[in-house]
This record gives sequence, structure tokens and C-alpha cells, in this order.
Amino acid sequence: MLEVRDIHRSFGGVKAVDGVSLDVDAGRIVGLIGTNGAGKTTLFNVISGYLGADAGSVRFEGAAILGEKPHRVARRGMVRTFQTPVGFPRMTVLENMLVFLREHDTTIAPALFRRSVAGSISQAEAARAEEILRAFGLAAKRDIWVQDLGAPELKMLEFARTVMSDPKMLLLDEPAAGVNLALLDSLVETIFRLRDSGVTFLIVDHNLGFICRICDFIYAMADGRVISQGGPDEVVNNPAVIECYIGSASGSR
Amino acid sequence: MESILLFVVGILSIGAIYSILCLALNLEAGIDGLWDLGIVSFFGIGAYTYVLLTAPAAENHQHYLLGLGLPIWVGLAAAGLMGGVAALLIGVPSLRLKREYFLITTLAFAEVIRQIYANELWLTNGVAGIYGLNPPFSESLPPNARQVVIFALLSVAVAVTYLIVRSLCVSPFGRALKALRENEALAMTAGINPFAHHIRAFALAGALSGVAGAFYVWYNTLIIPGQFVADVTFFVWTALIIGGIGNNTGALVGGILFVLLHDALRFLPLSNDMAEVVSSVRTALVGVILILVLRWRPEGLLCERPARVRVRQG
Amino acid sequence: MEIIVFGVISGCIILFGALGFSMTLKAEGFINVAHGQMLLLGAYLAFLFSSFGLPMVVATMLVMLCCGVCGVAIYRYLYRPVKSRGILVLLFTSVGVAYAINGIVGAVAGKRVLAYDLPPVRAMRLDGVPIMTVYELMIIGFALIAAIAIHVFLTSTWVGKSIRAVADNYDLARVRGFDPGHTSDYVWFIASALAGVAGVFSGIIGSLHLGMGWQQIIIILAATVLGGLGSIYGVMLASLLLGIGMELGIMVLPSNYRTGVAFLIIIAILFLRPEGLQSLWSPRTGARH
Repeated sequence: MLEVRDIHRSFGGVKAVDGVSLDVDAGRIVGLIGTNGAGKTTLFNVISGYLGADAGSVRFEGAAILGEKPHRVARRGMVRTFQTPVGFPRMTVLENMLVFLREHDTTIAPALFRRSVAGSISQAEAARAEEILRAFGLAAKRDIWVQDLGAPELKMLEFARTVMSDPKMLLLDEPAAGVNLALLDSLVETIFRLRDSGVTFLIVDHNLGFICRICDFIYAMADGRVISQGGPDEVVNNPAVIECYIGSASGSR
Repeated sequence: MESILLFVVGILSIGAIYSILCLALNLEAGIDGLWDLGIVSFFGIGAYTYVLLTAPAAENHQHYLLGLGLPIWVGLAAAGLMGGVAALLIGVPSLRLKREYFLITTLAFAEVIRQIYANELWLTNGVAGIYGLNPPFSESLPPNARQVVIFALLSVAVAVTYLIVRSLCVSPFGRALKALRENEALAMTAGINPFAHHIRAFALAGALSGVAGAFYVWYNTLIIPGQFVADVTFFVWTALIIGGIGNNTGALVGGILFVLLHDALRFLPLSNDMAEVVSSVRTALVGVILILVLRWRPEGLLCERPARVRVRQG
Repeated sequence: MEIIVFGVISGCIILFGALGFSMTLKAEGFINVAHGQMLLLGAYLAFLFSSFGLPMVVATMLVMLCCGVCGVAIYRYLYRPVKSRGILVLLFTSVGVAYAINGIVGAVAGKRVLAYDLPPVRAMRLDGVPIMTVYELMIIGFALIAAIAIHVFLTSTWVGKSIRAVADNYDLARVRGFDPGHTSDYVWFIASALAGVAGVFSGIIGSLHLGMGWQQIIIILAATVLGGLGSIYGVMLASLLLGIGMELGIMVLPSNYRTGVAFLIIIAILFLRPEGLQSLWSPRTGARH
């Protein structure tokens, strides 16, 4: 589904991504691990359209998308999350969800000429939003401004809105960060459920236990390159990977 | 008694025009978060378009372009159209700039455009302005009744503008604008194209400001470049801030309130010297109120509140 | 030739204004619209002082002091409290301050155009060609001194270094012992004093009227954009170029477009090269401003 080939990206003189290639097949959950500065976030940003690349190619469902703006990439069905979610602060939780409704026509004409339709949502849409919010424990906060939510709730909202967007592929940026153990379980469950309904995943995270638990395939990055790839056991036991992690755990970051 | 009434009607008329400008500004700045310091550009372009199309051909000492004597409704439509077109022309290159730069650019355009009015005599009769412009119904009604009728028309215009802006706000378009205002990166991953939405909001605000400009000509029966200084932009912003940025009712109320505060003192009969002092005091007062509001109640009188989304039955 | 000379002179006046403006922009991160009115205040205060019989030089010194103090007070009591609310709130607070100053000056001084009571001097001559008056020479001299002084100040003195440190990285500066609070006071004092001086000089060359503040802030804005927002040295160069450029521009366009030229320059720079002249010597990303 996603083919990333030989991406190069520098900032100033620093090579953040140095010839990275990876594949994500449809219906898989692929993980991307690496220490800070390994280039994961940069790669993520390149794939999702927030950054350009100096060289390389990205194909999503066969179409070349490198260089497309983020909103175009999203319209193709590839949606991403952000590490520290803030949502849309001065909009209600429900509005935050509705923004991600694909079917809504955001041009002016319907707003002015089909006011009754454009100015409201259908019962089906409302029900769907409520159902998802309930699944993430946010139903009671439906009409509250997001800026009044706590950090864990913001995290839940971030997931809720990705479900709402009915994506083909989800790029999750540190989904386990700041999530307590109990919620982590339900998060894993949600990811599996979505995978079963046809969503493909590429997940970046530091939490090795979490990654190994859910991913079919893992890429490990260091210094902008892929140093190991394979199933969870394979990658975790790879000497180069171990060195990277232990090296960075004892060193200062 | 009648003079007091007429004075009030006059002030409310200007208040109505400011309300329209505030609603337009609220759309692009309150809902969409664009830092636009150039609204007076479109206000002026709309006004001059209206004049150049509806005024009779230039005569005597006045020189200006066109002067086609077209009907008022054509003039109004053209004013709105030109306001929107100008916004498109300015917006396309400017909207790709970062906020601070966009701010400065819109201000710069507003001033350049004003200097064009002042200097291009063949187009606008320059600094001298164009006088003797008849508002609607000037043949059929006596002057006093005319004022009241104009005010009635303006009230309708404000209501229509309010309806337009409000409809936009509760629609997916409005939500997209707010999303861009709140978190552009997140809005993009929702599939929202920033530029496409900003330019629409900007152009619409320009069109509304243009129509307001035409109404301004109705009220003043003359047009001079000095009416379109940057002060207007700052006053509209002040009115919006006072009324409540992000809230349409706040925009409407702010416009009227600002004009009331600003022009209420005009009623007092004063000697020329005193009038000068009072006008300076008025300016200072605007400044002080702006400082105070931003310090103690920056969200304004009627602050933006969490929206309740309506669910259709059936 | 005269045009170049007058361009340099007006460039020097712009320099005084733009320097202060640029300093507060870099240090606080917002566009202080009231800076133009500080100029106005300086010009009118000098008129007041000289009407008490003080010689112009003394009046100018006093103006520097008064404007400096005013600037610090405005910063402390009006700007700093709302700093946390963001650039837009600061900008419009400065708009409020601008209107307040303009209104107060107007209420006290009236709307008539005023002029300083200076003994008229003939232009000095070089090879028989009149170049400039002694006042204008003084202005250029002061501008030179000010430019050099600012440069020395920023690079050599403790306060100057702290200003640069705070502007670059607020938190790091605090850690290393610079006190951002005091630093800001100095910045605002100097910036406002310079604005006052710019106003006085502007009044010497031309006349005093209530619109001079707004007129100048436009040009100052153009110089700052041209020089690269927040680049002190770029602004100095840009001020001179702008002064000369505007005088040259009037040869081509009608004179009423003088400030229009400044605005067109702003627009052109922002569309083509937003970093302005700063991009010439600062190849690192100048996105921070």
C-alpha cells in the first residue's frame, strides 16, 4: 500500500534521513523504532506531506505522492496523528470530530444556498460521532471546548478523530506516549479492531513493548538509516539495534 | 426634536455600515484567524466602483473616469464584485506569507491604494473628491425622509450580512475556517486545503466590505480619498475587539457601539477650537478603551462560545 | 547630487526611528505601531521645551530622557502585562497607545502645523555649490555617532550583550545570568529615546504636524522590512537606501507617492525576499524574528 524508496532529507548540513526505504502492505501494522534523532519524525513528515525530500519517492496505492501537500495526502486516505495532541482548542469535542468527516463539503455554495442542510448534521452523522466518542470515554464532553480537556482526554480525542476520518492508512506518531497501562490495553484493542476492518498502520513509538505487541513488521532506524527490519523478535534481538538502544540509554540525550 | 432624531438615525446608519465591516472582518479574522490590516482597501474600492458606475458623467471642474449613471442596484453589485476581485488579486500572492508578513502586506496595499485614489486625478478626481452624489430616492423623497429610508435599507443590509456570515459559520466551511485558525497542521490532515479556504474567506470579506463602501457613499453623498485611511481599519478592529471577536452578534453590536461612543460627542455645539480638542480627546479615548479592553476583557463584550451543532430530524 | 544628499539626510532620520523600532521588534517580537507616535511626542516636546527658552540642543537631550522614560513606562505597565496573550494583542495594544499619544498631543498642541524657532542658516557650500545646512550636517553626524555607538553598545557592553542574548534565546539567557526584565527596560529606553530624537530632527528638516507619526511609522516599517525584520545592521543600511531611494523615486513618480514608494518596496520585498537585506550576511535560516 505504501512504498517508500530511498528518501534523503537534510537540514542545513545535517542529514536527517539518509536513504531510507520501507514498505507497508495493506492490512499490516508496521512499526518504526529508533532513538531520538534517528530520523523517524522527519521520515513521518515526509511521507505525510509536511516536509519535502531532497531525493527519493513515496507511492501510496500506486500513486506517487512525494511533494503533495498534506491535505492532498490526507484526501487520499492517509491520515496522521501528532505526538502531543492539542486538537482544535476553541472548538467543541463534537466539532473536532466533525471536521474529520470526509463527506462534508467545505465550499461556500452549500453554506449559503443549502443552509438547512449545511448548517446541521444528520442523525446518522451525530450517532456515529457519539458512538466513537463513547468508545474513547469522551461522550460526556461532547459540547465542551477542547482547550478545557485534560492531557489524557486530548490523547483519546486524537484517536477518536482518526477513527472518524475513516482512513485507509493511519500514521500514528507516538500513540503510547503518556498513556497509562489500562488505556494502553484498550488502545491496542482499538488498533486491532481497526486493522480487522481494513485499516493499515505505520506506527512510530519509543515503547518497545507496545510496538512488539502489535506490529507484524518493524523497521529500526539510527542516524537516518534503516539498521534492521523484520518481525519483532528478529529486530529486537538484532545486535545493532541493541547497541543503539543501550548506547543511548546510558549516554545522555 | 426632529434634529435629534435625524442625528440618531445618522449615527445608527454609520453604525450599521461599521457593523457590516465588523461582520466581514469577523469572518476573516475572528473565524478564520487572518491578521488582515487592510479592510479599508476593499471598503474604498467598493465605494469608488459604486461612484464611477452610478454617478453622472464628469462635468465642470470634476474629472473622473466612467460616470455611467447606472442604476443603484448595478452599482451595489459591482461594488461587491470589485471588492471581492480586489481581495482575490491581493490575497493570492499575500496569503502564502507568514502571518506577520501578511499583516504588513495588507496594510501596505491599503495605503498604496489610497494614494492611487489621491494621485490619479483622471480616475478619481484626486484629493478633491467627487461631490453631489445622490443617494437612492433623492428625487421622490424630501431630505429628512431620505435619511430614514436609507437607514431602513441599511438595517436590512446588516440583517442580510449577519445571515450570510452566520450561515457560513455553522456550515462545514465555517468549521474548516475555525480549524485552520486553531491548528493548521491538524486541519491539513483532515483534508482541509488552507489556501483554498483562506482565499474564499478573504474574498468574501472583501466583497462585503465593498458593498459597505457603496453604502458609505449613500450616507455621505461625496467621496474623498481621505475617507479611506488606515484609521478605518484600526477602528473596525477596535469595534470588533470590543464587541467580541469570533462572535457574530458581538461584531454587530461592536460596530454600533463603537460608532455611538466615537460620534456621540459630535452632537454638542462647540466652537471650532473646542471641537478640535474634543476630536483629539476622542482619538485618545479610542486608544485608551482599546488598551483597557485588551487588558481586562480581550474576548470582548460578547465572547465566542462553544458551538452547539444542530441535528436534523428525520 | 542634491537628491543624494537629501536622501542621505532623510535616511539618517529614518535610521533613528527604524533602529529603535527594530530593537523592540527583535527583543519583544511584536510590531510596535506606537513607535511612530513616540516620534511625534519627541518632536512636540522639543517644541515645548524650546518655547520655555531652552536651546535646541538641551531640549533634544531632555526629549531623549523623557521619551526614554515614557517608553519604559509604557512597556512595563501596558505591554508587559499582556505579553502572554500573543502578538496580535500586543500589536493592538500598541495601536491603542498610538491613538492615546496622538490624541493627547493633539488635544494639548492643537491641529495647526508648527515649526521650531530656529535661526535660519544658509546652506554650506562646497566648490560654490550649496550642499546642506549645518543642521543637516549635524543630523548626519549624530546618525553616524548613534550607529557606531549602538554597534559598540551591543557588542561590547554587558547590557548590550544581554540584549542580544535575550533576543536570541530568552530562557538560555536567564540561565546564564542575564536579567531579561532589566534588559527589556534598557531596550525600551534606548528605542524610545532614539524615536524622540528622530522626531526632533524630523521637525528640524520639515514641520510639526499631527500626522507625522503615522507617516514616519510607514517608512520605518519599510526600512525594517527591507533590512530584514530584527536585523539591526540590515536596518541601518536599509534606512539609508530607503532615504535615497524615496528621493530618487520622486523623480519618476509624482511627489505625492513618496510614502507610496515605501509601501511598494515593502510589498516587493515581502513577495520576493522576505528576509530582506539580512539575507545578505546571515545565511542561516532567518525564520526567527
